[in-house]
Amino acid sequence: MFGKVLIANRGEIAVRIIRALREMGIRSVAVYSEADRDSLHVMLADEAICIGPAPSSESYLNMSAIISAAVALRAEAIHPGFGFLSENAKFADLCRQCNIKFIGPSPEIIDKMGNKSEARNTMVAAGVPVIPGTKEALYDAEKALMEAERIGFPVIIKASAGGGGRGMRVAESAEGFKEAFNAAQLEAEKGFGDNSMYIERYIKKPRHIEFQVMADPFGNVVHLGERDCSIQRRHQKVLEESPCDVIDDELRRKMGETAVKAAKAVGYENAGTIEFLLDEDKSFYFMEMNTRIQVEHPVTEFVSGVDLIKEQIRVAAGEKLSIKPEDVKIKGHAIECRINAENPEKNFRPCPGRVTDIHLPGGNGIRVDTHIYTDYMVPPNYDSMLMKLIVYGKDRKEAIAKMRSALGELVVEGIDTNVDFEYDIINSPAFESGDISTDFIPKYFPEYVKGSKGL
Amino acid sequence: MFKDIIAKKKGQGPDFSRLKKVVVNEEQNEVKNAPEVPDNMWKKCNFCGKPILTEDVKKNLYRCPKCGGYFRVHAYRRVELLCDEGSFAEWDKEMPFENPLNFPGYKAKVEATQEKYKLNEAVISGECRINGAAAVLCICDGRFIMSSMGKNVGEKITRAIERATEKKLPIVIFCCSGGARMQEGIISLMQMAKTSEALKRHHDAGLLYISVLTNPTTGGVTASFAMLGDVILAEPKALIGFAGPRVIEQTIRQKLPEGFQSSEFLLKHGFVDMIVGREDQREVISRLIRLHDRELIKKSLSAFSKGEDLFGEAETDSVSKLSAWERVKLSRDAKRPSAKDYTDLIFDDFTELHGDRCYGDDGAIIGGLAFFKGMPVTVIVQQKGKNTKENIIRNFGMPLPEGYRKALRLMKEAGDFNRPIVCFVDTPGAYPGMESEERGQGEAIARCLYEMSGIKSPMVSLVIGEGGSGGALALAVANEVWMLENATYSILSPEGFASILYKDSKKAPEASEVMKITAADLKKLGVIEKIIKEDKPACKENLKDIAGLISRELADFFARYKDKSPEDIVDSRYERFRRF
Repeated sequence: MFGKVLIANRGEIAVRIIRALREMGIRSVAVYSEADRDSLHVMLADEAICIGPAPSSESYLNMSAIISAAVALRAEAIHPGFGFLSENAKFADLCRQCNIKFIGPSPEIIDKMGNKSEARNTMVAAGVPVIPGTKEALYDAEKALMEAERIGFPVIIKASAGGGGRGMRVAESAEGFKEAFNAAQLEAEKGFGDNSMYIERYIKKPRHIEFQVMADPFGNVVHLGERDCSIQRRHQKVLEESPCDVIDDELRRKMGETAVKAAKAVGYENAGTIEFLLDEDKSFYFMEMNTRIQVEHPVTEFVSGVDLIKEQIRVAAGEKLSIKPEDVKIKGHAIECRINAENPEKNFRPCPGRVTDIHLPGGNGIRVDTHIYTDYMVPPNYDSMLMKLIVYGKDRKEAIAKMRSALGELVVEGIDTNVDFEYDIINSPAFESGDISTDFIPKYFPEYVKGSKGL
Repeated sequence: MFKDIIAKKKGQGPDFSRLKKVVVNEEQNEVKNAPEVPDNMWKKCNFCGKPILTEDVKKNLYRCPKCGGYFRVHAYRRVELLCDEGSFAEWDKEMPFENPLNFPGYKAKVEATQEKYKLNEAVISGECRINGAAAVLCICDGRFIMSSMGKNVGEKITRAIERATEKKLPIVIFCCSGGARMQEGIISLMQMAKTSEALKRHHDAGLLYISVLTNPTTGGVTASFAMLGDVILAEPKALIGFAGPRVIEQTIRQKLPEGFQSSEFLLKHGFVDMIVGREDQREVISRLIRLHDRELIKKSLSAFSKGEDLFGEAETDSVSKLSAWERVKLSRDAKRPSAKDYTDLIFDDFTELHGDRCYGDDGAIIGGLAFFKGMPVTVIVQQKGKNTKENIIRNFGMPLPEGYRKALRLMKEAGDFNRPIVCFVDTPGAYPGMESEERGQGEAIARCLYEMSGIKSPMVSLVIGEGGSGGALALAVANEVWMLENATYSILSPEGFASILYKDSKKAPEASEVMKITAADLKKLGVIEKIIKEDKPACKENLKDIAGLISRELADFFARYKDKSPEDIVDSRYERFRRF
């Protein structure tokens, strides 16, 4: 096991990793920018070293400074957290060259999965379903219909140069397809001066479902169930839960096996996430693979009982997975809300500033991951996430009730936050009834998407 | 008072003194798994001081990925960057060591350097292909005793030049040097003469030499082969000079300004044709070789055939009915297309060459090489600006002596390679300023007329706007002179004419009528051969059409001249002006 690990990150995830290290008896090294001198991760780590000025490019993305810090303080491994250098193949490669263990997959895998088309091709080769669609541009309705029939209805017709819904049509069946194609093409021609089109299977009421996988260097891979991350605002996740209430045991087994197959196909190691789009009819399609720990990992920790960060560290140190596939039991229901320093009334404008007072909810099944404290100054330089509030109940209903209660208790003063927005979502009948898809927010909270065309 | 409260309130966070730090056995740790940065993984940029990855530097053609600064490149790496794969065949790989002055310790130093860098001397030479073009190549390697020039460096370069002459090949030399090799004393000095002499023979054999100046090029190398290129290229921000900056500072007891003796400084002062970044060197060098390819010039010239002559005698009568004064005004109109507007449409791959190799680079005259329907041509134009900013650079189209000297240099170069020349005239006149007189405006123009008469390649000159006096004539001692319909060509401006003859410059409109300065008048006088029609006064809208007409006329011109011997070309030009 490692003696000392450097955390190449900041904020709540750095705190989360430092705590895990301390519990494991591993010495932690925090790195920080000049703007983060008073940040909690700096105070909690066993050692801390400043790596540069406030801008990320000169601090948390500054590979030479971070590597130098690790060498100077003799850290044997680097945990990259999420964001920043966590999916940077070059950084992972530099770590390897410097005899520093990068806690994550190899640079080769990061590279491969980071390239969308290569990732897709790899998955197709491994027998993982991807959204069927055309590879080459289409110009002619007759030919397009043949393609549509090959792909299977319903299909969506899109302009190659498109965006914002223009030049886009859904065709439910062969009937009326040509009319829809021609109309979309005409719009594309007028709108973008380009009449090349493509079509793919139309996913009805898609849900963003991701499977957590964990792999060790010995080829063992387990999945720890799914997370439903459909509630998004402009592709930013707002609230996540596990399990997903429309996935039954059979589908979970099928999707989980696919996720494990995908991870094995690339020879994956460490924590990873396979993202799928789930159709209303329960078909699912591979979207992409995230080769890092994710923000929403605590919901999986609650329902699986596995400490993902510790597992990551163990696996990186060359140990076997501590869990076997047959031991994985998904139990209860967890929900996470992301609390950000932003103003939902003003188009979610970030609101850095001083936290003048704070009250955190607590009690049975309530978890708060945060780096803020009373008098903490939120710097304007980084991501606006302040806190993750995670609750765990015996079922979805209880989890919702806990989240309502916990959000009600949460007080952050001095800066604007999105707590009210989260509170509105968790209290909405739509959420409770489970009418969830990636267009949940525009559908039920249109007042929050004003001025944000093309969500 | 409030300040104090706020300062106190600005907490340093909670007190975590109870929290126990994790202690590890450092000693055990160190032995087991100490991280270590491999040698040479990181470098510190010596321009911006930032740490950079060696691998990134390599990928970025040995430039700093952060500030773009140019690092020195090892000779064999340059071969890789420049030559077609596997095409470089090295010559004189082994040269016996010589110590002409029996300088103590010199042998050991050379041997140690040879061993350290796996190089025999400070230069490598050989034959190669660059984008398919065959050439002899010499590359100096700065690691070898600052690539100073001793006997073996001079010998390798001289032999390479001699072989290039023998094989009728162009030569490219990448220069880099601290100067003479001190340990070889006066013998080192002799290398300057030796290499220069060899280059003279190479030049007299009608062959191309491209010199590429890299950081640093100084001392005896600058004062010999480095500055003798037919074309002199430089890498950005290289130090180039004869005396080193420290020597100059000690002598004049002043600090030198920023950028003194840089590539950019030399470009401004007329000694460098162009600054070429590493990413473009292969393309630019191979293009320059093609532009100097005699066979290509000969072959492509002979391929021109006479098309339909759209502008016969009838043209003179069909021009629009405008008064001379109206045409004067049109020829000066700021909206009238400038020379570059036409050349951009007519020629391909225009490669601008700067400087008069003497004093400076004039913005009012643009010169360079380009392809016209696949044939290399030299293009020299007078350029006006379209706005104040451009006009400051272009000096309102009024050339200084260095402009004429640049034009002259390029014309002579074209003559040496039998490359046809196309000139576009558009100037109110040569610049009448103090500095013009100081640097010999009259001499510069006279020298143009004198030397142009003897240039052995077909030459055509087109007046596109104002043809102002001697300043225009300096680009118009051509085999044929043409005018756009609304251009003018005169001994001086109508205003000047009026003030001399009528003592009133306001009588310019009347003067313009009697001066015979329009295309139609000049054609009648036999001063020009051709009028190129403007269906309406040249402007943005009909620019393309007019450029098309010029292209067609140029093709016809080359067809008329393709069979003429160089002597006939010179004689016919002589006769053309002898008539007047």
